[in-house]
Amino acid sequence: MRRRVWNVVRMEWAGIAATPSSLLFLAVIPALLVGQAVFLSWIVPRFVNPAILGPGAGDADALRLLILRQFPFFVLLIPAMIANVFATLSIVEEKVTRTLEPLLATPVRTWELLVGKIVAGAVPALLVAWASAALFAAVGFGLGWGPLLWTLFTPTFFLSMFLLMPAVSLMSFVIGVIGSSRASDAKAAQNLAVVIIFPIFALIAVQVTGLVEFTPLRTFLLALALFAVDALLLRAAVRLFARESIVTRWR
Amino acid sequence: MRDPEVISTDGLSKRFGERVAVEELTLAVPAGEILGLLGPNGAGKTTTLRMLAGILAPTSGTATVNGLDPATAPEKVHESIGFLTESPGFYERLSAERNLAYFAAFYGGVDAHAAARRGIEQMGLAGRGGDKVGTFSKGMKQRLALARVLLHEPRILFLDEPTAGLDPEAARNLRELIVSLKKEGRTILLSTHNLTEAEGLCDRIAVFCTRLLAIDTPGALRDRQFERRLRVRLASVTEDWLAALRVEPFVRSVERGTDGALDVRLADPDRDRPRLVTRIVEMGGQILEVREVERSIEDVYLSLIEEATE
Repeated sequence: MRRRVWNVVRMEWAGIAATPSSLLFLAVIPALLVGQAVFLSWIVPRFVNPAILGPGAGDADALRLLILRQFPFFVLLIPAMIANVFATLSIVEEKVTRTLEPLLATPVRTWELLVGKIVAGAVPALLVAWASAALFAAVGFGLGWGPLLWTLFTPTFFLSMFLLMPAVSLMSFVIGVIGSSRASDAKAAQNLAVVIIFPIFALIAVQVTGLVEFTPLRTFLLALALFAVDALLLRAAVRLFARESIVTRWR
Repeated sequence: MRDPEVISTDGLSKRFGERVAVEELTLAVPAGEILGLLGPNGAGKTTTLRMLAGILAPTSGTATVNGLDPATAPEKVHESIGFLTESPGFYERLSAERNLAYFAAFYGGVDAHAAARRGIEQMGLAGRGGDKVGTFSKGMKQRLALARVLLHEPRILFLDEPTAGLDPEAARNLRELIVSLKKEGRTILLSTHNLTEAEGLCDRIAVFCTRLLAIDTPGALRDRQFERRLRVRLASVTEDWLAALRVEPFVRSVERGTDGALDVRLADPDRDRPRLVTRIVEMGGQILEVREVERSIEDVYLSLIEEATE
């Protein structure tokens, strides 16, 4: 069972390694996101009056801190962006290369195939997201924002990084794989999987508007809830993986 | 004694919505036999193989492969069969060996890399194992696909159009491989459009067009579908001779062909052929040639399909 899942994971990774554009994509995403976050954190306090935060809101650092606090939520976009490319193509590519039918003729079970594909994408996506966070912190310290950054490293931050992010990452990939197995081609799969981004935008919106304060407990409970949804979505993915229509309707 | 049946179906049917793909298919394949599935496009050959391989679920009826029901225990069935799909299907950016090792690793008790290397050598692709499959010709991919179905040494093989689209040499090489697999005692279900290939390779042929039209050895199918006839070429023929032959009790009919030769149907061709020759000589006829009219498996096939579509 685990052997077959691991076999799928390794094959997916071999496929990524053999495709330079995939590797480039994995490298460019954190650079773009971190670059943008650093740029905004640097430029906004220089040109925007901190008074927009309200009377007595403080100085430019207060404005910078406000921007820096959004970063953990923007990092959540990384797995979603990677899923939108890798997960949505995972089953569609098997259809296009005609490898799905020979694969379905082996003893691999549907859930093993799907879990293998999800893990194979979610793990690098998480690593890239964590690497992005580390890069952002390194650049921030290098720019002398150390005191501000230290205030960011709260229990909520670590819960977001190491619990919420894996849950969101898994969700992105499960939704992507569902889209991939239901779509008729790569473009349709990506169109379907655009919903991956919606829950993350919702989280960002909630954080930015201050509608809900993400305390450690709330973050922890949210992560648990998302893991539960992930499990339900995985079950749905297995049920929605219609071998019959995949095999017979693809020419 | 007949070998035990390793594949059997009973009333196996498959519908896709309103369309009937396979209707009430009942057949049995003993161990070690090559059974050819012949039929036009859309006849249900691939659907039948997919049902037997546990990839598609039947709408009704049952199937047994190696004692297992593919509809309820597909993964168990997959352990004991090899399914050569219509399109070879490989990860073209990866090497041949990596591709085979991937598929081999799904089977229990198989050393994936050893099986992959063995398969590559078996199919005459030694030295190309490290090359990307994308650089392979269609014939090489087809041989690699055959290596893939043999990775776990299955005793039952389903081969769907194995020589389709191959050049004559590659097709012949593949047919030789199939013959060698049969000699190893494997049971093979072979779907093909190539009638000569079916006749040359298969112990029995099942002709079907959604439903099974006939199943037997190529010779028996010929005998069943067409009455045996003799073609007799004489130096000259008279109407009197024709009349005299028509009243002989062992002659069922005599017709004069467009080339002047006689087309004779006998009650028992093997027993009555010498009597016919003797009678013609007695009448003073000079026989130039006596031969049995050969009916190709193509004639049998076309005749059966024509009957089915009438």
